[in-house]
Formats: sequence, C-alpha cells, structure tokens
Amino acid sequence: MQIFLGIDVGSVSTNMVAINEQGEVVVSLYLRTRGQPIKAVQEGIRRVGEELHGSKYVVRGVGTTGSARTLSGIIVGADTVKNEITAHAVAASYLLPGVRTVLEVGGQDSKIILLRDGIVVDFAMNTVCAAGTGSFLDHQAARLNIPIEEFGGLALQSKSPVRIAGRCSVFAESDMIHKQQMGHPIPDIIAGLCDALVRNYLNNVGKGKDIQSPVVFQGGVAANVGIRAAFEKALGLEITVPKYFDVMGAIGAALLARSAVRDKQESSFRGFEVSEMEYQASSFECQGCPNLCEIVNIHVDGKILARWGGRCGKWETLKKTG
Amino acid sequence: MGTTWPGQGKGVIAVRVGVPRTLSYFSFYPLWKALFEGVGAEVVVSPPSNKELMDAGVRETVNDACVPIKLYHGHVEALKDKVDILFLPRLVSLDGKVTLCPKFLGLPDMVRYSIAGLPELIDLRLDLKKGRHELYRFLYRVGRRFTGNRARIAAAIRAARYNIQRYRKLLLQGLTPEEAFSLLENGHAANRREKGAGIKLAVLGYPYALYDDYVSVRLLEKLRLQGVDVVTPDMVAEPALRRMGKSLPKNLFWYYSNRVVWACLYYLRDYSVDGIIHVTAFGCGPDAMTNKLIELEAKHSRQVPFMTVTIDEHTGEAGVETRVEAFVDLLKRKKGLL
Repeated sequence: MQIFLGIDVGSVSTNMVAINEQGEVVVSLYLRTRGQPIKAVQEGIRRVGEELHGSKYVVRGVGTTGSARTLSGIIVGADTVKNEITAHAVAASYLLPGVRTVLEVGGQDSKIILLRDGIVVDFAMNTVCAAGTGSFLDHQAARLNIPIEEFGGLALQSKSPVRIAGRCSVFAESDMIHKQQMGHPIPDIIAGLCDALVRNYLNNVGKGKDIQSPVVFQGGVAANVGIRAAFEKALGLEITVPKYFDVMGAIGAALLARSAVRDKQESSFRGFEVSEMEYQASSFECQGCPNLCEIVNIHVDGKILARWGGRCGKWETLKKTG
Repeated sequence: MGTTWPGQGKGVIAVRVGVPRTLSYFSFYPLWKALFEGVGAEVVVSPPSNKELMDAGVRETVNDACVPIKLYHGHVEALKDKVDILFLPRLVSLDGKVTLCPKFLGLPDMVRYSIAGLPELIDLRLDLKKGRHELYRFLYRVGRRFTGNRARIAAAIRAARYNIQRYRKLLLQGLTPEEAFSLLENGHAANRREKGAGIKLAVLGYPYALYDDYVSVRLLEKLRLQGVDVVTPDMVAEPALRRMGKSLPKNLFWYYSNRVVWACLYYLRDYSVDGIIHVTAFGCGPDAMTNKLIELEAKHSRQVPFMTVTIDEHTGEAGVETRVEAFVDLLKRKKGLL
C-alpha cells in the first residue's frame, strides 16, 4: 500500500492523516499542540507509525501545512509545504466535489474560501485579531467551567439567546459577565456567544463575499453544534460538516503531497524514526543591523538542521553552505 | 556643527542636507539629490527603514497617524543630529489639480512640534496649482538657501530635471527605485530579472508602502521568488495614466490615490494581469475610498481576483506570507499551472 502523510500543525491542534493512493483516509489523528509543535509532531508521527504497524505500506510522500508548516516540514522531511488556505480548499473540493463555500474556524484563525467549479475564486482570512476563533471559545468554556465538548449542546437548549458584542473578545467577555450577573441562564448566554461569533465572522472574514450553497463548515470549531446552528440561522442555508472536519487541512496536505511526488522517485520523508530523534530549538537575537531579528535554530542530534526568522536571509543562507 | 554656510568655496566643508528615506523619497530623490549636489551641498540619506527607526517613529508621532507617517518621524530622528539642514518640503500639489494626502500637507508642522532638537529645516511649499512654473520657482528657492549664485542654481535645476527624467524612464522599464538609484549613481544595476512563470500581478499602493521593504515585509521580493511578474503604478507611462483618469466620471482628491486608481484601470483595461494586490497602511484615510474603488472595479466589474494587504507597525511576516502564497496558488490553479 502506498501512503501519503498530511500534517497540519496549528496553534491549538496538530492533525495528521495517512491516505492511500486512492485518496482514502487510512489513519486520522487530532492532537493538542500545547505550545510544543515539535513534540506534537513527533508524538503524532509515532502514533501514525503504530496505527500502520503490521500492514504492508511505503510512505510515498509527506505534506505539511498550518502555521508551523515550515518547522514541521523540516522535522519530518516534507515533499511539499503549503499554506493552510490552499490545503483546506484542496481537501474540501476533493472530498465534497461541487462545494462552493468553505467556512473554516480554527484555533487562532478563521477563513472563508469560495470555490466555483472546484477552483478557488476568492478567500479571506482574519487579520491579527483572533476574536471569535476556537481559542476564545475554549477560554470562555473554561471560565464557565463547562467542558468544551458540551458547549455547543448547551447552546441548543436556549430559547432566547442574549445579545453579546462579538467585535472584540475582551468586550465579549465583559458583556457575558454582565449578562450572567443580571441572571440570564447559561444556555442563553452561550447561544448568544455563538450568535456573536458567527456575526463577527460574517462581518469581518465574510464581508462582501457571495456565500452560495453547498456550504461546508470545517476546522476544530465545526465540532460545536451551537456554532453550526448559528451559522445556519444567520445564512439561511443548510450547512454540511464533513466527516473529517477537524483534519481537513491535513488531508489537503496529504493530497498535495500526492501530486507533488508524482514525478519524484522517492519521498524526502525522514522515516518514523523522527519521533525518536532529539530535536531542539534555540534562538538568538541577530545584532547585524538595527532590526534585531530573532533567529531560530533547529538542531537535530546536536547538528543545525535549519534556521529562519531573519528579514535579510543571511542566516537562512548559512544553512545551505553548512 | 555651526551654521557656516553659505561659504561654498575651496576648503570649506560642504553643508550636509538630510533627506528621509521614505514618503516622497521614492518619487523624487534623484531630483532633490542632483539639485543639492549642484549647489554644493552634501546629501545625507537616512538608513533604510528598520525596527529602530520604526520604534523611534511610533514613540514620537501622534498616536492615530498611519505607519508611513510614523516611520517618517523615525527617519527624521535618525537624521537630525547628523546634518546641518533637514529637507522636509511641504508637498501640496504635484499635478496642479489635486493635493496630496492631508498628512503630507501638515508634515513639516507635525515634525516640528513632535521632535525636539531639530536642525534648520527647509519646509518650502511646493504647490503646482500656482502655475506650471512653480516647480522651477520652488527649486530655485531651495537653491537660494545654499548659494547666491544664480547661474549655479539654474545649472543645478537643469541637472536635477534631467536626473528625474532618467529615473522615471528606468521605473517605466520595471526597475525598483533602489535599483534605479544605483544605476543612476554607479552606472550599473542589479541583474535584470527573469520573466515570471506565467503569472502577472499588479501590485498597487503608494511608493512609500510598496518599495520600502521594511513596511511591505518584502512583498515584491516574495512575489518574484514565487515566479510572479510584478507590475506597479510606476510602470505605467504618464500619458496612459492620465487617459485613465479621463475615463472616470470623477476623480479622487489625492495625488497618489488617483495614480493607484488609474493604474488599476490601466492594468484591467485589456485583462493584462491575472490578479491585483492592493497594499494599504492601516488607518489610511484616502485608502478608505481608494481600496473600495479598485476592489469594485477589479472584482465586481471585471471578475479579476483581488486581495488587500494591510500593513501596520505590528505586521508579522507570517500572515502576509500565508495570504500572498494562497493568492498566488489560487491564480496558478486557475490557470492550470499547478
């Protein structure tokens, strides 16, 4: 069996899939990054290796995506390193042909991708502000002492959601506290929060976008039935949450790897041993000019594997010469 | 150093004039430089924008100014102790019809009241609404600050005008400002770029946002590394730009904004570009109009993919990189190149 690995390392979760040459998902993993992307990638690779153990397979290609795509690409030896917008679009149009709108809400970012006839025609991504993304929901769930898994279900119990300002997560939080002290029941507050998040998404990321059916909702937050219901209410459209909603980026990366190695003899994959290797990251401030760039070194077993972080590229070049 | 000019003779140290490497620098530096050197002054340019200048600018400037204005203050800060005179002209109108952004009009005052310990300033007003000879008169007045020799000023103005014409020709050929400056100065430029791999993008924005690598987080370079052919408003010849202006029912009120809108129309008119990227500074007043106008023109009237890249002092490279890469992917996939 030929295997293609897709790795999506985001701020909150690290997702991995293995697909076969027909593009079917063989293994899928959803891990928390917990601020340690290198550890998360190694752990993921180890678990994928375990799951595949016993079957006859060969890894033909590896693709990485997500905000730590360069880092994870170096660690595993990726054949392709792609941004998460392209990866999500590739996965959605492959698994759900005919899709015209992809709503994606992840841990730190949210995006909208418009496709027509399988081709991306427009996209948008939230800017610096992470209001209305997964980590904000996480934070509020923790504050209300509700497991994030039950968050969406509670929202559905609400009869009359309260109105919460969704522009800014700091304002939203004070609004929620205010409503809670006024005596509104928790389900109404949570449903109000879901509405606010969706309103914020549609006003910022989805501003001026022509949202057409079929609409797919993916990313970690798609697990939240409350948000999904709020999207359906706001758009007046039916929304599909795909089976692999939480690993779509990784599936996209695997599919991209499959096409990247088409005319390649061998994958650059460093093998499942990478989970055993000693990877270390260190950083220093370059004093070469007033920009004071923070340069990151990635070491493997004491040797420098890669370097980045500079504006001028002089440290990156050192990597090639030795 | 004291004010020893106008003693421009043998054995006298030349007066040092400071020119900030931002804002109008990218449009007019060859003009200023030839003029100052023609009247015997030494030109000192601030270093390329960097974190230190940005931090100094953010510290000194009123809070709600845009990044380019803040950065300008940083450049002034970097120059003020190294020169005898600072050149901070008040640019009001450059085409005799509209003015520049109001911030350009108030710039000398903003700087004067924000930064202490400034040297002598040249903040003469350049307003071509006063007539077509106003540029000459402006340059003459600048020259008078250095020498009383009329013939010498006239010769400097001729050299300056010749220099700026050559510069504009080089920009039309697709050179970046820094490449053109080095060609004008040293007679040779960096290697000619190879043609891109089939994707052509119009990158629109004001010169001080596009060509300042610190501000734009090296956007142009990143696009070229991805095999994109980049065209900018400065690569459209003046008469062609003006023709585009005539095709609009109404123009904007700001010089640089009009040039962006006209360049957008120019590149859209025969669908010669695959996409358009608008680079805008966060909080830019004129761009509230400009951005919307070109977005409507590109995306809605002609269905040409359009993306806005907003920059501010916190702009991280990662965010811009992800968007730009995705945008180029979108165009490549559309064209079947990927």
